[in-house]
Amino acid sequence: MHVVIIGNGVAGMEAALQIRAEAPDAGVTLVSEESDHFFSRTALMWVHSGQMSHRDIEPLERDAYVRHGFTRVRGRVVSLDAASKRLTLGDGETLDYDKLLIACGSRPRPGPWRGSDLRGVGHFVTLQDLEWYERELHGGPSHAGRPPRPDQHVPSSRPDSPYLPREAAAEARGSLSKRPAVIGGGLIGIEAVEVAHGKGLHPHFFIRDEWFWPMAIDATEAAWITERMRAHGVHVHLQHEVEHLEGDAQGNLTAVVTNHGRFEVDCAVVAIGVVPNTQWLADSGVALDAGGGVVVDAQQRTNVPDVFAAGDCASVRWSTGAQRPEQLWYTGRDQGRVAARAMLGQTGHAATYRRPTWYNSAKLMDIEYTTVGFVNMNQPGEREWFFEERGAVRSTTRIVHTDTGVIGFNLLGRRWDHSVLMEFIDAGRSLAYVLDHLHEAAFDTELVPPLVLPREAR
Amino acid sequence: MDLQGQNGLLSTYREGFRARGAAAWLIAATLVSFYVVLYWEDRLSGALGGRPLTWLAESLHLRNRWYLYGFLYCVAMSAGGVYYLRRHGNSRYNRTRIAVNVGVQVVFGFTLPFVMPLFEAPEFYFSYFWPLKYDYLYPQTLTQLPTYLSVYAVVGGLVAAPAMAYFFGKRWYCSWVCGCGGLANTFGDPYRHLTSKSTASWRFERVSIHSVLVIAIVTTALVGADFFWGESSPRLHAAATGGPLSVKELYGFVVGSILAGVIGTGLYPLLGPRSWCRNFCPMAALLGLVQKLGRYRITVKPDMCISCGNCSTYCEMGIDVRSYAQRNESFTRASCVGCGMCAHMCPRGVLKLENSSAPRQRAARASLPIVSG
Ligand SMILES: Cc1cc2nc3c(=O)[nH]c(=O)nc-3n(C[C@H](O)[C@H](O)[C@H](O)COP(=O)(O)OP(=O)(O)OC[C@H]3O[C@@H](n4cnc5c(N)ncnc54)[C@H](O)[C@@H]3O)c2cc1C
Ligand code: SF4
Repeated sequence: MHVVIIGNGVAGMEAALQIRAEAPDAGVTLVSEESDHFFSRTALMWVHSGQMSHRDIEPLERDAYVRHGFTRVRGRVVSLDAASKRLTLGDGETLDYDKLLIACGSRPRPGPWRGSDLRGVGHFVTLQDLEWYERELHGGPSHAGRPPRPDQHVPSSRPDSPYLPREAAAEARGSLSKRPAVIGGGLIGIEAVEVAHGKGLHPHFFIRDEWFWPMAIDATEAAWITERMRAHGVHVHLQHEVEHLEGDAQGNLTAVVTNHGRFEVDCAVVAIGVVPNTQWLADSGVALDAGGGVVVDAQQRTNVPDVFAAGDCASVRWSTGAQRPEQLWYTGRDQGRVAARAMLGQTGHAATYRRPTWYNSAKLMDIEYTTVGFVNMNQPGEREWFFEERGAVRSTTRIVHTDTGVIGFNLLGRRWDHSVLMEFIDAGRSLAYVLDHLHEAAFDTELVPPLVLPREAR
Repeated sequence: MDLQGQNGLLSTYREGFRARGAAAWLIAATLVSFYVVLYWEDRLSGALGGRPLTWLAESLHLRNRWYLYGFLYCVAMSAGGVYYLRRHGNSRYNRTRIAVNVGVQVVFGFTLPFVMPLFEAPEFYFSYFWPLKYDYLYPQTLTQLPTYLSVYAVVGGLVAAPAMAYFFGKRWYCSWVCGCGGLANTFGDPYRHLTSKSTASWRFERVSIHSVLVIAIVTTALVGADFFWGESSPRLHAAATGGPLSVKELYGFVVGSILAGVIGTGLYPLLGPRSWCRNFCPMAALLGLVQKLGRYRITVKPDMCISCGNCSTYCEMGIDVRSYAQRNESFTRASCVGCGMCAHMCPRGVLKLENSSAPRQRAARASLPIVSG
């Protein structure tokens, strides 16, 4: 059997490793346009600052393809002919498969504004985006170098690819960026802000909503994060709707114009979300959802026989009933494993994708963040219990509960073991029980004084 | 200020002296030359036209060049401590650990040994134990020391140090007390990411460190045998302590000077700060074996790791922490010195150092079986 996997991100690579573990003789080909090696996309910001090298963000040793007998194809897939089970690459080569896994991830959502194609405007999602942003702020990569063969794929690529090198305004101008901007108040946005701050700059941060990341964070929590960003010298602009971007005669970005005014900037990271990287599937017969995600069932099967999808590009059924992609590292990993087993013809528990209670964690500048269950979802009959700690540790604890028990946690400033909090939710524990047992979920490092909930707060 | 977690980004690879650039080679060359002169000044005095370190020590009214070294060591450690605290000092674990370590070294590693002879007491290092201080179990040493110090050396090296390692992990020594570890974590902190994470380096470490432990035990046994039977057996005496090619002298030359000093510290900017601790230290080997059986562990929070690699990158012992974290596997590695940096660096709070005999995972989530790469 010959399995072809499009994408060597976490979903594609996990699937390949799983197939190898269970079917030592299966042929496995991994096609990737972006890079030779599997790397952690989640770690781009640390390569930018110089905290890590390219090699450091690769979870496997570089001989992994050889050791596991995977065939590497570096190039862009441009079309799928499902009837003859054949892929075509940008340079005209073809690739036949018995089973196909589409794990081609997401691409940044482009800016919809006039001027979005100016030099100096870019994103922070792909390796090529990273290289561009490094050139704008630092003039190039750190002493840790570049990934091998960064431009190898370009001949077989297409103009619409998110993996193309981008010109830097810093080079055209002859001077590094001094006044960068980030547009879009989400997780990638705040990381792009942090790397600019890490360079010692004071970036502009344009956020359309009333506060940072309203999907996950409430007004009180966001006020603390905004205060922290401003203390670090970040110009946070709330409720600023970008109208257009301005450039000079050479086509270099010079300003961001919002509904509140004109801001002189020399570099802008557009971080207004990601979309499934599936434009090339438009005529393939593979069913896509309204946002472009490849619709899959619980075995990661698409509507086309022998074609599967996993990771950021796959549109899955949520516990809420919604059908859309889950753009997360660990869900991509789990989906990849399920897809591998399903491609090998397995059924049952191990080949079925079930997302547990929602959870996630992040670090917002230097504030630790954990969320579990339903928060900011306006569930019927929900109430909130909130406690703000201001002692040796500053933290906030928000617990959402209904008559049937606790349903969600939003926790800032401390570390928590989400698996214990999930147990509370899944067991339908009452608020009183959870407050008595909250310490069981504490995961702070040693010597950090524990969270004490004063009696009157209960 | 928060009490855990890396506060802001590090610019490590954007600074040449930390990324094996020309400055790093220059620093390494300077350190190596310094150690060569320090250890072999007498033999090199012809070539050097004198004894520069002894001269410097005497002009500073220090008894000999070893006190000068102790003094420079304290300065390097204190300056490095300030550097460390500026980078990682927001964390209470880091801050406490470094303060204790620097304090112990300044008091027990430098001041007391300097002061004790003034009161007719022998020069004694309370912060070192056998087998790191290999001569502390030689009968020749024990019989010369006052009883209370002999008891301290024997009980400390053979009972107390391993017992503490059972309950708290070897970190109580390697990261809170030890002078080599202390220098590595302060003066050597700029280089902690350079320790190799390759499989080959791990294979080398396992053979080399346990070999040195065996050699240390054999050397101690031979020197001890010489004390009791050396007079009746000239061959034993020659092999154990007599002359420059005896095991005692060879061990001091190879392990004490070359591996611990010239390579261990001199090559910080190229090999990372813990190459002595990781590959050669017999004390680390011994306490590491105890640690494997004891209570210390790194607990991994399930299914939260984003495989970023901060933990592995900043592990000064070359442990691929990420490989455990992404498999949801709590673990105890013999080599882990418990510096706490992996937990500190982790942007998702996945890791926690613990002394605990409770089960490793509170709740095994209905997670899918996992294969590793
Ligand atoms: C800056 C940033 C920070 C993030 N932080 C977090 C976080 O903290 N936690 C978290 O859970 N998630 C985070 N994410 C999201 C997470 O990285 C993704 O969910 C995950 O990487 C998706 O993996 P994937 O395998 O589905 O796709 P990808 O990693 O995107 O891999 C897709 C691969 O497919 C290949 N490809 C695509 N199209 C083609 C084509 N036509 N032909 C050939 N090859 C093709 C490319 O080479 C690409 O490498 C972050 C994302 C970013 C950008
Ligand atoms: S444990 Fe933490 S630091 Fe290590 S790879 Fe996982 S997320 Fe990154």
